[in-house]
Amino acid sequence: MLDRFGEAISVVLGALALAYLAYEIDRRKRKLRDLFHVLDGGEADISADLLNMVESGELQPYFREIRA
Amino acid sequence: MPKSLSGTKPPRRPRARAGASSKRPPTTQKPGAPLEVGGDPTASGNFPAPQPAVAETATTEMLIELPARPGKAVRVRKYKPPAAPRFRIFIVDSGWNSVARRVLRHNFALIRRLHKEDLLYLLSRKKSLEFIRRHRSLIGRDPIIAVHDLEAMRGHGTTGFHGFHLHLGIMRTPRQALIARQDFVQFVATHRRSENLEAEIRTQLRREGIVGAVEILLHKAPRALGG
Repeated sequence: MLDRFGEAISVVLGALALAYLAYEIDRRKRKLRDLFHVLDGGEADISADLLNMVESGELQPYFREIRA
Repeated sequence: MPKSLSGTKPPRRPRARAGASSKRPPTTQKPGAPLEVGGDPTASGNFPAPQPAVAETATTEMLIELPARPGKAVRVRKYKPPAAPRFRIFIVDSGWNSVARRVLRHNFALIRRLHKEDLLYLLSRKKSLEFIRRHRSLIGRDPIIAVHDLEAMRGHGTTGFHGFHLHLGIMRTPRQALIARQDFVQFVATHRRSENLEAEIRTQLRREGIVGAVEILLHKAPRALGG
């Protein structure tokens, strides 16, 4: 009886540990995805807006003369 | 020590140079003799003879007017746009008083030097604000560093993969922001000639896939997370 109870507790604790691990990995991956956001078709309008600003001359490459 | 009389000494005296004594009697300086102390290094070397009136009033020392120190010649490097830039980098910052903003500002000169081979565009606060108002999903994520991969954009424009954003605004501590910034700079510098940039972003920056999960488990990834 005690053996079975102990086994059940071990299985539950193991499952909890695995679930926590999976949750933590997923949380960190989500944060990394959010931090380094890949641009694809979904962000085409954002990129096109920046592109238009460059092409219209509204934005110029930044530079400042550097003292040698 | 008695104070010097205001009429007998000049108000300011140039610092004596090496080898010159401040107590040198005026009689040792012969009129018309070559200059021993001070003097203009660009001049011919002959010092004009002191006038008698000056010699009478300034009994202890002779005032030598030094010319303004010639400043170092400042060489200014002209801006040359990069010949074949791989990336176009935009910095969007609407001005939230965030730690990421401070980190970005403090390291901006260094960032600029490290991205010399790319085209860098800095949006003003007003333009950033207008831009973010047009794209409200970006609110709270700035400062944003947007990187456009020109090679990918030449192929298919903005319809497929064409770059990535670094959302520095979601970082909560200066250390996190700095580390994310450093990871970003390192990635851009080392993957300049990459043929499949998207795959490398996914595997190396975002730790996607099983290998990424293992790296997160082994605490290889939390650098960017500040963990």
